[in-house]
Order: sequence, then C-alpha cells, then structure tokens
Amino acid sequence: MPRAGSRYEVVIGLEVHTQLRTRSKLFSEAPVTFGEKPNHAVTPYCLALPGTLPVLNARAVELAIRAGLATHCTVHTHSVFARKNYFYPDLPKGYQISQYEEPICTGGWLEIEVPAAGGEEPQRRRIGITRIHLEEDAGKSIHDESLFGEGTLVDLNRAGVPLLEIVSEPDLRSPEEAGAYLRALRELLRAIEVSEADMEKGQFRCDANVSIRPEGSRELGTRTELKNLNSFRFVEEAIAAEVGRQAEILDAGGRVQQATLLYDPDRRRTRVMRVKENADDYRYFPDPDLVPLRIDPARIEAIRAELPELPEARRARFEAELGLLPREAAALVRNRSLAEYFEAAARAHGDPRAVARFLLRDLLAALGDRQPDETALPPEGLARLLRLVDDGRLTARSARDLLPELLERGGDPEALMRSRGLEAVSDAGALGGVVEEVLREHPGEVASFRAGEQKLLNFLMGQVMRRTRGKADPASVRELLLRRLGQGG
Amino acid sequence: MVAALGTLRELAHALEAGTCSAHELVRQSLERAEALEPALGAYLGLRAEAALREAEEADRRRARGAPRSPLDGIPVAVKDNLAIRGEPLSCGSRILRGYVSPFTSTAVAHLERAGLVVVGRTNLDEFAMGSSTEHSCAGPTRNPFDPERTPGGSSGGSAAAVATGSVPAALGSDTGGSVRQPASFCGVVGLKPTYGRVSRLGLVAFASSLDQVGVLARSAEDAALLLGVVAGHDPADSTSLPQPVPDYAAALSGDVSGLRIGIPKEYFPEQGGNAAVFERVRAAVAELVSAGAREVTVSLPHTRHAIATYYLICTAEASSNLARYDGVRYGHRSPRARTLAEMYRRTRSEGFGAEVKRRILLGTFVLSAGYFDAYYRKAQQVRTLIRRDFERAFEHCDLIATPTTPEPAFRLGERERDPVSMYLSDIYTVSVNLAGLPAISVPCGEVGGLPVGLQLIAPPLGEPEVLRAADAYQRRTDWHRRRPAEAA
Repeated sequence: MPRAGSRYEVVIGLEVHTQLRTRSKLFSEAPVTFGEKPNHAVTPYCLALPGTLPVLNARAVELAIRAGLATHCTVHTHSVFARKNYFYPDLPKGYQISQYEEPICTGGWLEIEVPAAGGEEPQRRRIGITRIHLEEDAGKSIHDESLFGEGTLVDLNRAGVPLLEIVSEPDLRSPEEAGAYLRALRELLRAIEVSEADMEKGQFRCDANVSIRPEGSRELGTRTELKNLNSFRFVEEAIAAEVGRQAEILDAGGRVQQATLLYDPDRRRTRVMRVKENADDYRYFPDPDLVPLRIDPARIEAIRAELPELPEARRARFEAELGLLPREAAALVRNRSLAEYFEAAARAHGDPRAVARFLLRDLLAALGDRQPDETALPPEGLARLLRLVDDGRLTARSARDLLPELLERGGDPEALMRSRGLEAVSDAGALGGVVEEVLREHPGEVASFRAGEQKLLNFLMGQVMRRTRGKADPASVRELLLRRLGQGG
Repeated sequence: MVAALGTLRELAHALEAGTCSAHELVRQSLERAEALEPALGAYLGLRAEAALREAEEADRRRARGAPRSPLDGIPVAVKDNLAIRGEPLSCGSRILRGYVSPFTSTAVAHLERAGLVVVGRTNLDEFAMGSSTEHSCAGPTRNPFDPERTPGGSSGGSAAAVATGSVPAALGSDTGGSVRQPASFCGVVGLKPTYGRVSRLGLVAFASSLDQVGVLARSAEDAALLLGVVAGHDPADSTSLPQPVPDYAAALSGDVSGLRIGIPKEYFPEQGGNAAVFERVRAAVAELVSAGAREVTVSLPHTRHAIATYYLICTAEASSNLARYDGVRYGHRSPRARTLAEMYRRTRSEGFGAEVKRRILLGTFVLSAGYFDAYYRKAQQVRTLIRRDFERAFEHCDLIATPTTPEPAFRLGERERDPVSMYLSDIYTVSVNLAGLPAISVPCGEVGGLPVGLQLIAPPLGEPEVLRAADAYQRRTDWHRRRPAEAA
C-alpha cells in the first residue's frame, strides 16, 4: 500500500446512492419489496408499457427534503426531473428519470470525524455536499447460465425504486476519511429515517472518484471512477488499491487515463472496466411527462421543524451540557440507538460521565451485535445497576458480570445481585473482621510492610479479596488495611 | 350499402325516442365500416363481437331506464394509439405487432363510462408521425373525397371513418395538427383541446409536451358533446389540468355578437399558398362578421419559426419516448440477433418505418452533447416566444382565425420523397401545439371538389368559445353537411 502516501495527495469524491424508505416506487404505486418473486412487484409503468405515465411519490420528495436539511443544503423550491437516455435491458423505458441541471438540494456539508493517529482526540472536518437529487433505480440483469443458458434474465422489481444520489465535493483526503464519511452519512440517513441504508440489501451503494496529485500541487489529477463499492471495508480497500495503482503509473512517468474501474476484493486490485474516450452522452433533457417540482417554502420549514436532533448537534450537546469528553461524545452519537439509551440512562442515574464510561467500556462489549434497545435491560435498569456500584454494594467487576443476564432476561439488578450472592462486603464491620484475620495470619508480611516494603499491600489485599470471593470493594479494603497497618499494632 | 350514421345528437334522440336500438346502431356501424373498408383503409381492427355485446348491454340499461348517459350505446371509433384493455395496440407499427394492452386509456375509459361503444381502432401514421396516414405498416387510408389523395394525418383513419359515416364521431390525437389537418382534408370537425384538458394516460407518447387527445365529429355540437365526455382532470397524468369541465354543449348559444376574431397578418400572405383556400377562409370569417363578430388584425411574428421549433422539440421527445421499443419485454424482437447491440439494432431497424427512424435520428442528434444548446434549448426559448405572441394577440381578440392547412388534400405518395414539404404543410397547426392552445378545424368550403378547413384558436381553456363560434358558423352554413360522393 501506497508508499505513495508521502509524495502524493489523495483526492476523493463520493457518489452515494441510498434507497429511500417509501412503501411504493418513485413514479408508480408498485410496492418497494425485497426478496419478492422476480417481476412481481411491477405495474404497467415499471414495464414501460406503451401509454404509461409517471406520477411522483410525494413521500420520496419529503425524504429528499429531510436529507437536504440534515446536510445543510439549500432545498430548492423549484427543481426539474430529467431523462437520462441509454439502452440497457434492465432499463425498461430506455431512460432513467433523474435530476440533472436543477436538483432538489445543493451546497451542503457533512461533518466527519477524521481518525487520528496514536490515541489523540479525533479531528472533525466538514465535507462539502455538492448536490442531492432524486432518481429511479434500474432493474436487475441476471446472467446465470444454469437458469437460462447464455441468455440474460431481467428482474424489474427494483426498477423505479426511489433513490437519493448524494454527491460529495472532492474533499476527502484518504481511504479512511472516505470510510468515515460513509459511516457518518449512513448514520445520519438512518437517524432521520430517510433510508434504512442496509448495504447488504443494496440500499446504500457507493461510487468513488479518485485522483492523486503531487503534494502541494493545486491542480487536480486525472480521476478514475470506482463503481459498485458495496461495503465500507471494500470502499477503503478499493480506494487504497486505486491510489497505489495510480501512484505506480505516475512513478513510472506515465499518465493516468480517465476510466471506470471495478474492485476485485480477492486480488485486492482495481481493474479497468472501460476507458472513457469521450464523456458518455446521456442526452439529458427535462422529462416532459412531469411538471417542474415546486415546493412550498412553508413545507420545507415544517419538515425542518420535525427533524430529530442530528448526530453532530447531539455530540456538541453531550460535551457542553453533560460534560463528556469529545471522544466519549463522538463514540456515543455514532449510533443513534446507543445515544438515546445513554441519555435515558444518564437522566435516570444522574452522573452522565459515569454512565458514558460504563456504556462505552462494559455495555458495548456485552452487546455484541445487538442494539441496546433490542435487549431486555431498559436504561432505567442500567441506572439502578450503576447505583448499586456507587453505593458500594456491588463491585464494578460484578456489575460487568451481571450484564449478560440482564441484557438477555432483564429483571431487577438488585434482586439478581442478591440471588447470585454478589452483594459487596464493604461495611467496616464485616470487612474489618476479615482484615483482622488476614493480618493475624501473616505477621511476617505485616512486619515487612511496616519496614517499607510497600508492594506487600497488594498481597494483603489479594488475601482479603480471596476470602470475600471478590465481593469486597477494593477501595474499602485498601482503606481499611492502610488504617490498620498505620496504627502500628 | 347500409346508410351512414347520423350525428351524435340525432342518434341520442333516436335512442331516447326508442326509434332504434344501440344494437342496431352498432351493427349498422360495423356493416358500413366493413363495406367501405377494403377501399378506404380507415380501420386497423373492428371489435364486432365485443361491440355488439356492449350494445346489447346498453340497450338493457336503457330499457331499465338507467342509461349511463344520453350517448349510451352509440358507436364511436378510436385511433389506434389509445390503449383499450384486451385489444391490440399497434400505433400502425410493426414493432408493436402482437401487443395487446392490459389497461385502458383514461380517454377511452371515459367513453365507456358514458356507454359509448368502441367499434374499431382507426389507422394512423406510425406512432402518429406524419400528415398523411401513409406511414402506417398496414398501408394508407384514402381520402373519402378522392381515393388518390390522402385523408391527412396522423388521425386519417378517424377522419375518414367519421367523413364516411361508419361512426358519428371518433377520438384522435393531435401533436402538431394530427386531428385538425385530417378533419380539414376530410370535411369534418376536428377539435384539439388545451394541452392537459384530456388525460394522456394510455395515449402512446409521440411528443409528450405536445400530444393531446382530440375529437373528430360532423358538427361542432357533436364535438362539444364528445369533448364533455373525455375531458377532465386525471391525477395519473401529471400534466393534466385540474380545472372543472364546463358544459360545452350548453355554451353553444349561436351568439357571436361582439366576438373579436383576430386575423394574423403573417398567416395570410399576398403570395404563396393556395389563393382559393385563403379566399374560403376569409369568406368564413366574413360570415361570422355578418353574424355580429368583429374582425381585427393581429400579429404572431415568431410563428415563422414554428415549424423548425416544432420539429426540434417533437423529434427530441420522440427519440426518447420510443426508446422503450427495444425487443426486451414486448412487441417485435428480431430473431436473428446474437448480441445485445445486434438485438437492439435489428429489432428497431425491422420494427420501425422510415419516417419514425428519420425522427428518432433527428431527435437523437438534437439532444446530443454539443448540439443541445443550439437546437433543443434554443427551440424551447423560441417556444416561449411563440406562446407570448399568442398571449399578446389575445389581448386584442377573443379567437384567432387561420386556414387549417395552406392547401387541400394532396396526392398519396406526392410528398413521400420530400419530407420537408410535408412538414411545411403543418405551418398553421404546429404553433397551436407549441403554445398548448385549444383549436378547432371546421369545414368552410371546397377547392377543386376537396374540403377546406377554417381553424379557430382560443386562449387556454377557451374550448367553449371556439365551439360556440364554430357552431354559430355551422348554423349559418352547410359545408359540414357535405358528404363525399360514394358515402352519401
């Protein structure tokens, strides 16, 4: 991987296609489905039968407006649907209805967290959003000899499914930044319920425009386009591989050719699909079957008012109002469900920082792939669990040990603590007896400690902990031991 | 030969009075169509069985005292670019051979809701591209007044069917004059409504921003009756107009006093064109003036660019609208292709006729990178100027009168080798489509035994005004009652 990194600056722009959360398609009442029998989620319009006409799905427009507002775009009160003309068997009309010269949203930005090296606090950067527009998805061509010999089968269930294309400025400077942008965008789209953005279902797809230029140069290099990157990992790997390929060409004194490439994850290499001799000519023109899309400014404001709190605003609030460290706040807002769970638990408990630390350290590990709101432990239950720790009745370690069962089966943390016999031995009376016992049985060590061998304190603590089978609160044990040893008796 | 059918109004009276049944009317319609058909070529298909069954149902409704409308049970014909569920939809093209529509166009659904019986699908230029009905894969329709001449087009089949009385009225479509010009050539009334007044759902698209379903009939009154049936807002057509539909027939007061009729000075040249045609049109305007209307001169300076503008826009839209005929899902697919590119090439080469190919090629060129601004964008700008011309003219007049065509029907084959001369004959009709206005063509005389049409144009949604003026003219004249000799 790129030795190039040091001598070349990487310039990346991303085009994301995300499927909107609508019940029906963008221009017909056909349902949006997944896994339906081929060509069963279609109407005459989806098949481009003669005489059919498009009717715009108002819900899709609303979701596009929401996405535009959440990315600080200008939402235009006048935009135009255009036809992108090309022939392909899975494109039934011979054109895709998209937006071209006048998209619905332009000129926004998305804040990303740039991964920082060596334990430093991550940096935040604004990545420009050039435009967001609505368009139809195409169908699916299936080339499977076992099904249909050498022929091609076409499934039009997906044809006409509403997509949002979100185009970034060429502001990204590394594969990792590209990955961070995609994760932030996906989380945002899910948070505002614009898209499920499920990559495995093809609901969130990415094309990357990649170029490199000598460090310090202001001119953009010739860019290539990486198509169909369908996982975060592939996006980063593919861009890294393409940067390497371009660097090799430049190092050898060659010139990068404008081309469309595919990524081969097995060989970890990009492969030229086709070289662009001339720019493709899609003969865009305004779709005469549709009137320009006019949006009442009042409707835009109403949608703005209904937007949930966005991740970046939430992060700022967690820092300013709840006193979290930037790293903690950023980690919590990365996942909407986790952030909301945290807020509820912090409210019930009263010490947001303590809750945040426990969530990020212990709860995340115990959750695995689950979202916190999918478990049997409500945020209030978590708060009660932490209060047991605060009160010295449960050690932090025991609290962690109880998590799997609480997440699985729920119930009252205190009752579970008792039934497991995990109540901490922390009151001076009960613990005091054990301490006296241990001191009595180890006179040699006591003497050595008093003579200056400080590390023997740990040995004595270990003895107390063993006798209490871990239920003792280490801080209390330490305090008691020091007090007794200090008394000299 | 069985007699020609009367007008919609007459047939509605007869059914109401019980002097004939819908079944009798539909049978008469079918028999007359079949008798004329071999020579005329007006129909691409008759629905004899279905039509007779529907007529019986209409008779039963009427017997119960519950007809769907006064027109329930009356036969009509429909241009074969309007979808009818379960019927072939050919558009006069080989590429749609074997295609049967699974749904009904909104316009035809309105006919059915009023009980009108569709007896047949009428001939047309392939995909409605043409002015002569010669560009149909099924062969031409002939002019009822002279079988060596064209009936006009592209709704030539509908015009010929109405002129010969196999039906009292028919639906057509008008993208650049395709209802009005054949109406003029065949001596019938042809009305193109305001763009958006009749739903385009189920009308096979030629040029979406210009296409409009229109009606052909023997009188302005019948045109009003039929328009009232098919007009109306359709949420399934995004370009459909939401305004309520007025009672067009009620607007026919016969009164034109004070009506200001604009004569565009650019449309009546001192020289060129057929002087006799201009003379008939001027005489028709004079007739309206004698009935109380007033003649004013107006100017439409940009309409000299209308033909060029029209052919840039309509070919651009057509090149995209016809991309769906690719052999993948329905219609003709060349059996000889081995690669995808070859399948597209052969399917479309075999499936489309010369005129359609010419327009697809032109339109593809017009939209191409590097030419788009010079052609398509410029044409849209000129289109705006043409629309403004009309807006300004209508500040000084209520209607504009022009010839429908500069000449009466031309000979079959006469313009096949010179498409531009064919395009130029659309001079008076295309600007109306570019501006989206309502216009009617009314028979107003003959030249050399061939009918001549008067075109009346109104501002948007001015259908009641053009119909009232046309009806007033017909109350004072007999031109619309002239029948072609063999159809008399």
